[in-house]
Amino acid sequence: MLEKVFSGGKTEQKVIENIKRHIKILCSASDCFKKALVERDKDQMLCIPDLEREGDIVRREIISNIYEGAFLPFLRPNLCRFVEIVDEAFDVMEDAALEFEYLDSESDREMEEDCIRISDINLKMCEMLLIAFEALFRKEDLREKNLAIRIYEKKVDEIKLDLIKRLRKREVKNFWEGKILSDFISYLTHVSDVIEDASDYLYIMNVSLR
Amino acid sequence: MKIEEIMTKKIESVEADAPVYNAIEKMVDKRLRSLLVKPKDEKDVYGVVTVRDIVFKILGKNLDPSKIRVEEISSKPVICINRDMEIEHVISLMNKFNIARVFIHEGKEIIGVVSLLDVMAAALIERAKGGRVA
Repeated sequence: MLEKVFSGGKTEQKVIENIKRHIKILCSASDCFKKALVERDKDQMLCIPDLEREGDIVRREIISNIYEGAFLPFLRPNLCRFVEIVDEAFDVMEDAALEFEYLDSESDREMEEDCIRISDINLKMCEMLLIAFEALFRKEDLREKNLAIRIYEKKVDEIKLDLIKRLRKREVKNFWEGKILSDFISYLTHVSDVIEDASDYLYIMNVSLR
Repeated sequence: MKIEEIMTKKIESVEADAPVYNAIEKMVDKRLRSLLVKPKDEKDVYGVVTVRDIVFKILGKNLDPSKIRVEEISSKPVICINRDMEIEHVISLMNKFNIARVFIHEGKEIIGVVSLLDVMAAALIERAKGGRVA
């Protein structure tokens, strides 16, 4: 079935390679985000909007190629939706990066460590998403890959619960300080939700193609 | 994969002479299955108290948890390993001693803990990556 669906035409190959590139850019963005957090470097965080723009260019190319006739019609909306979800992950990461720019650098150590742990898991989830996407074209069952992504997401959820518990006890000196910190954590922890959605979508495609 | 990659660094502990009720409160509040029991003095060693200990040794026997000290039901010493131990060795260790968690030490200090669930999650992730755990 897969051989028929992914018939390996030139346009199809181009789309597949571009989707891989799109996910690889997301991996680079996650890696850059983590490094900027570890080094508390706000300038380094500027790589995120740059990579997001690069991701946008690739996304537009993928969608155009698909609408030019790549793949069988029933698969086109699914592939487009998958690409849109990956793009949403870029947007959420960019939102977190923008909040980081205004974040008070004197946040407590424990909170900082948790944020670094989350960004590390986000990176691992992106890498696993790439592995899952590549596996789809090797006709493999994506069940285990999807489970691995769910395990990562559960870890982020656990850290998030703990973080929010501590955030609520924190004294807020002014409205914007509180809002920026709260938004930063919301965006940071939302990245994993979006990657999980992308993985679920990939798994659904995998199941529907059996 | 080395154990330090999956260990939990946040370890909740309880004093050895605290009432079991304190341990129960901490476990319920923080949704934990075990607590590290601190040594009483320099000659003493770390112990561990688990939900099993509390249910089977206290609640199942209808004893009052506020009248029993943690050290009376805890197990010691705890099984400790180095942070660079490979997961497959940890699995064999857990299997050999029939334990659900191992602690990671650095010198005399406990710096992390790994539970069976952590090991299972790590093993599944390794499988998904195409690797083998053991």
